Formats: sequence, C-alpha cells, structure tokens
Amino acid sequence: MTEREVVLDVPVQPPTDLFLPIPKKFLEEAYRGDDYVVLVGPQHPGSGHMRLILRIKGDVILEAIPDPGYVHRCMEKLAENRLYIQNIPLFERPAIMDTGNVTLGYVRAIENALDVEVPERAKYIRMILAELSRIGTHLYDAGILAVFLGHTTGFMWPFALREPIVEAITRISGVRVTSSFIIPGGVRRDVPWKTLEFVRKTTFVLEKRLKSFEKIFIRNPTVIERLKDVGVLSKEEAIKFGVVGPFLRASGVEYDVRAVEPYEAYDSVSWEIPISDHGDSYSRFLVRVEEIAQSISIIRQAVNELRSMPEGNIISEDILQEYSEVASSDIRGFFFKVFGNLVLPSGEFTSLTEAARGTLLYSIISDGESNIPYRARVITPGWYYLKGFMEALRGERLADLQAIYGSFGYFPPEADR
Amino acid sequence: MPELFGVSDILDVISMQHFVQNMVSIPLIQPVIDFLLQIPVLGYIVALILWKPMFALLIFPGLMTLLTVLLFIIWFERKLTARIQWRKGPLEVLRWAGGVIQALADGLRYFFQEVIVHRDAHRLYFLQFPILIFIPVLLPLLFIPAGTIVGIKSPYSLAITVAVVSLIPVFIVAIGWASNSRFAYIGTVREAFMYFAYEIPFIISVISMILVYGTADMVTIVERQAIPGIILNPIAALVFFITTVMATSRLPFEIPEADQEIAFGPFVEYSGIMFGLVMTIAYEKMYILSLLMSILFLGGGNGPAIPLLGDISGVIWLFIKAMAVMVSLAFLRSIYARLRLDQALRVSWTTIMKISLVSLAIGVIINLTTVGVVG
Repeated sequence: MTEREVVLDVPVQPPTDLFLPIPKKFLEEAYRGDDYVVLVGPQHPGSGHMRLILRIKGDVILEAIPDPGYVHRCMEKLAENRLYIQNIPLFERPAIMDTGNVTLGYVRAIENALDVEVPERAKYIRMILAELSRIGTHLYDAGILAVFLGHTTGFMWPFALREPIVEAITRISGVRVTSSFIIPGGVRRDVPWKTLEFVRKTTFVLEKRLKSFEKIFIRNPTVIERLKDVGVLSKEEAIKFGVVGPFLRASGVEYDVRAVEPYEAYDSVSWEIPISDHGDSYSRFLVRVEEIAQSISIIRQAVNELRSMPEGNIISEDILQEYSEVASSDIRGFFFKVFGNLVLPSGEFTSLTEAARGTLLYSIISDGESNIPYRARVITPGWYYLKGFMEALRGERLADLQAIYGSFGYFPPEADR
Repeated sequence: MPELFGVSDILDVISMQHFVQNMVSIPLIQPVIDFLLQIPVLGYIVALILWKPMFALLIFPGLMTLLTVLLFIIWFERKLTARIQWRKGPLEVLRWAGGVIQALADGLRYFFQEVIVHRDAHRLYFLQFPILIFIPVLLPLLFIPAGTIVGIKSPYSLAITVAVVSLIPVFIVAIGWASNSRFAYIGTVREAFMYFAYEIPFIISVISMILVYGTADMVTIVERQAIPGIILNPIAALVFFITTVMATSRLPFEIPEADQEIAFGPFVEYSGIMFGLVMTIAYEKMYILSLLMSILFLGGGNGPAIPLLGDISGVIWLFIKAMAVMVSLAFLRSIYARLRLDQALRVSWTTIMKISLVSLAIGVIINLTTVGVVG
C-alpha cells in the first residue's frame, strides 16, 4: 500500500477584505459626512460584552448600532437536548442575580402545561426568592451605573449590600447565586421559621444601609447632573420601541406583569407600581430604587403570612403523586423519581414573568411524548429593550453613553442568552 | 568689557566654603554634620547636599520628597477610598505596614512589562513625550520656598512657577497626538477644552493673591503671611482649590482620562513603564499645586518654629500643609461622580470665572487699602 494524497476539490478562498460588523454604506456615508465612527467594545471597559457602533458628529451620537451576541450560549438549542428539569439550572445562568425570577418563569410555563396548582406556602416562598433576586439585581445594576459614572463608592456599596441578600438566598436554598430552588409544583424544600426571621431582619439591614447609599449616590449632585434629562424616552417612544419593565414604567406606562396577570401570591400582598413621567436616565434609576423599597415591603408581608401557615406541604400533590406522603416537605432523595420522566402534553405553553429588568417570556413547545422540550423559547428583558436603549442614545453626547447604558442596566449575557 | 566669570570665580562658587556659608542648619544633628565636614571628600558631599539650593533640589521639595509623596499618596488614596468603601485596600505587599509600598511594587512590575509601541503611533514622540514632560513637572520645584530653603530666588518666582505648570497640558495634548488612536484623540480634545476652562480662573486667583501680597516672590509672600492668605482672600483659595481639582483631573473633573468612557484618554496606548510614567503625571502636578496652595493660602513654611530642627522646621510645616491639601484632594475621589465635559466647561466658564473675578476684586481692594503697610 502506498500513501496517497487526498485532494478535496472544495473551493476555499481566504477573505481578502477586512470584516467589519457594519454595512459598508454606513462607513462611506460617515466618511463623506465628516462624522466619526467609534467602535465601543467588546473589550472596552464601559461596553460590557457587546460592541456598540457609534456614529458621532463632534461629541453627539447620531446613530448607534448594537452588535450583540458575544456571550451567546445557544441556550435554546441546548434546552432541546435536556430533560425538562435539567433546563432549570441552564436557564438561570444568563442572569447573575435574577435566579428567582428566571427560574420562576420557566417553572410556571411547565406548571401551565401540566395544570398544576402550587401549594399556598410554596407560592409565598417563591415570591420571597423572586423579590430577593429583584433587589439583588437592582443593587447590581446600581453598582454598574455608579462605576460607569466614575463613582467608585457607589459601585462598592451596592455590591456589599448584595451580600446579605446572597446570604439570605444561601440560607433558603443552600446556594449563593444559582439556587435552582424553584421546581415545578413548588420549591425544593420547606424554609424553617429561623431562616424566614433572618430574611426579615435582612430587609431592615438593607433599608438602613440604603439610606447612607442614598446620601452618597442617589442624592449626589454630580450624579443628578449626569443622569437628569439624559437619554429621554417619551411614553409613546417607550411603547413603540418595546421597552419593558422598570424602564417602561420610568416613561410613565403603568405596566407590571405582577399586577396585570398576578402570579404566585402577588395579588394577596399590597404593593405599588412605582412609575415616573420623565423617562430620563435618572427616573429609570429612581424607579428601580423605589422598587427595592416595594420588594422589601413584599418580603416582609410574605414572611408575616408564612408565620401563620403550618410548615410542610410545599410541593403539589399532582406532581408528587405516589411520593406525596414522603416528599411533601422535602424533595431530596425523590428528585429523579418524580421529575426524571416528566412529559408535557403536546402544545405550546407560555408564561410571562416580571423579572428584575422587565418582562421575561418563556415558551415551551412539546410534542407530547418525549421528556425533552421540542422547542424552548426564551426572550429576556435585555433583548426586549435593546432597541429602546439604542434609540435613547440618539442625540446624546458620547460621555452619556455610559450613563444611559448604566441607567438601562443592560446585561449582555442575559440579552444574548 | 570685564570677564563675566573668571576661573577664580568658578572655583569660589564650587568651593566648600561657598556651600558652608549657605547651609541648612539642623541643631539636632549639628555635631554629626560638623564631624562629617572634617572628612575630606565626604565633607564636601555633605556640604553640597546641605547647601540650600541643592537641598531644595534633592531633598525637599525636590526629588526625594517627590518620590516619597508619589509612593505615599497613591497608597493613601487607595487606602482611604477602600476604608470609605468597606474594603481593605492594598495589603499584601508589606503586610505589617498595611501594604504601604504597593505603589513601589506596581512601579517595579511596570519596569518588567513590555512597552508596546503600536503601528500607528508616532514612534519618536510617543516614546519621548512621557519623559520630556518631567521638565515642566520638576522645574517649578526649584522656585518653591520651604522656610528659608529655596532653590532659585527670584522676584518673579510665582509667575515662573505658574507659567511652567501651565505647560504640562501641552505635553499631554502632544502625547495624545503621538498616540494616534481614537480614544486618545477624544481624550486629547477633552484635555485641551479643560485646559482652557481652568487655566484662566486659576491664573486670575493667583494674580489676586499677587495683588494681596504686592509681590510675586514666593519667599516674600510667605514672609508677609502673618494672617494666612485663606483668611485674607477665601474666595481666591476656593477658586484655586477647584481649579487644582480640574488641573489634576481628579473626580468630579476626571474628564480627559475617564476610563469607563474613553479608557484613560490620551494615555490609552501606553504600556509598561511608559504607562507608569504618564500615570504619575497627575500626581506630580497635584504635589506641585498643593505646595503652591500651601504657600499662597496657608502660610507656606510658617508655623511654630521647632528650635532643635532649625531650618527643617519650615520644611516640616510646608510638608504637613501640602499633605493636608493632597489628602483633601484624594478624598474627593470617593464622593463624586464624573461630570460631563460640557457641564464642567459650563461650570468653569460661568460660575468659577465669576467668583474668580470677585476674588480679583478683593485682591485689588486689599492692595489699595494696605499699600504702604505691607506693599
């Protein structure tokens, strides 16, 4: 046998021209119009994991084109090869702190499909977890906003304030960030009253520390100067560009999924939807600060409710079936037996959730016979408001890019999924 | 025409006798100095170092103090900010002293890092400007009097100092130009805008103090401050302080560097020891302006004399005052956010300009009323 050279006749030619993620026409027009094209990111300290293509005239942004996708992780495709229950830890990866809301959305889509009623106690525990996540995310975003404005104290304090929340989540679920605590039909295990008491005390600590944060950052004259009347989105624009969540409410639209289609126990606690009419960066920030206060109030009410409830029974019997005797207060040891062969009826099941950064949509398509989804669709709030974010940049100064970015709390891993 | 310098004149100037006549006197260690002066070569060196102009150049406010202050203030700023932000700050290098030589360790690291000169840079200027910038940074130190110790006495020393300090931004603009990068370009334009915005109120506040004291000689200015300048003309002190914040690009006016927006602006392309050099420019400028502020407004080397230390007591008072100013400048970093360029320009061209004119008016009034008393 002699070695033979194998030649594949595939015409491959290396690219000869420079690849740019911009239309050629855009560059040519900018060149002719004496504008400046600046590519901010993806390795820029103030861009996150994305690229922003800016066309600048003098110091004013004429046009902003996003180039996202640098942290795309094929979440939807990966979900098609996993058991329904295995997708919970997968889907909570994009949002660092928002574990409660992100898993809640997915789990509710499954519950819609199975038509399961969640026990009352589990509803409250889920709500506490979701609100803790919401506070954590808002603090995280406040920190990012502060460091974008060059205010390092405003960056460090919220990150330190996040720590009690992480501790509370740890005591509830056993994990600091990605808890995967919420499962179809309820939560993994019951939360003892001692932990609930810790969570309640945490809210008081937060409230106290937030007051000093308010002094140094929220009411800081330079911060107000930087954020006021910057990146304004009017009510009409915000609706037109599909902005969601606190950013929509900052433009004066009173829409909150928790209030419009109440899930869990949101209709049995009293809370308000903070809205603002200005639609600028500062009100986008203030709305979220006010939401932290509302979340704290919700958590306290929920803890009070839970006190009067008997412990145990936190997973629906429809899910547990023959294990309902042994696993009703703790799923440990029966997890695979219960969820290993979970099959959804055929059809498309959708859930809308108010995550910290806005509306979160899950859509699961099932063929009715396999234990993995046929198709899972996730639309995260970041993806919804990316257009609004880009439109808010138009006509602002280059230095305001970071202020607007921070005011939206845009989080590329969440948007790219 | 007579010879300007004969050989004997030059020998006179470099003779030990010449140094000993104008030497820093420190009664505490006088016996040691006397003993050292007896030793042939060492005595000459000691006399040279303790010769007041040379002392000003080498020890205070010159090189040694400058380096110490650079090491200290970078560490102190980080430590102070860390304490405010519920952190520990630099700690691991020299743990028992709270990481005080962190800046030195960073400097050493810069030395062993590669200096990358990118393709688009103007290589010659890119490498030489960070070194040339030390001329305007170090030159003013010669004119700054610490008590009786002063490098060069001149009736125009304040004017010369301010003029030379004003040259620093020109070098920074040149650095940005030589870098030839988009972010450096934007940062350079911002630096130029800020330069014009703070320089005029800055000079007006200095002029108003010249009017108050009736002289531009810093030695005389310090002598005439029985009442510190900050009480005579507090508005000029305020303007001087704010413009110092702008000139050293501290927060809230850290606009040309703005690392989240334009990634350190004019200095974006530097790496290795070159970055170490350009990074310290702002701190060196801060040191000079703090010295200037303590001389103009806080009485310079005036203070209760410490008999044992002799001439050094003036040095110590000036150092303490300058450090107090520097610390208050470092404190700003943890309080304020960065303003936008147009906001900073609006503030300086309107509000600060107005109050600087008020300070000038106060200077004129004091000049007219006290003429003949101090002038």
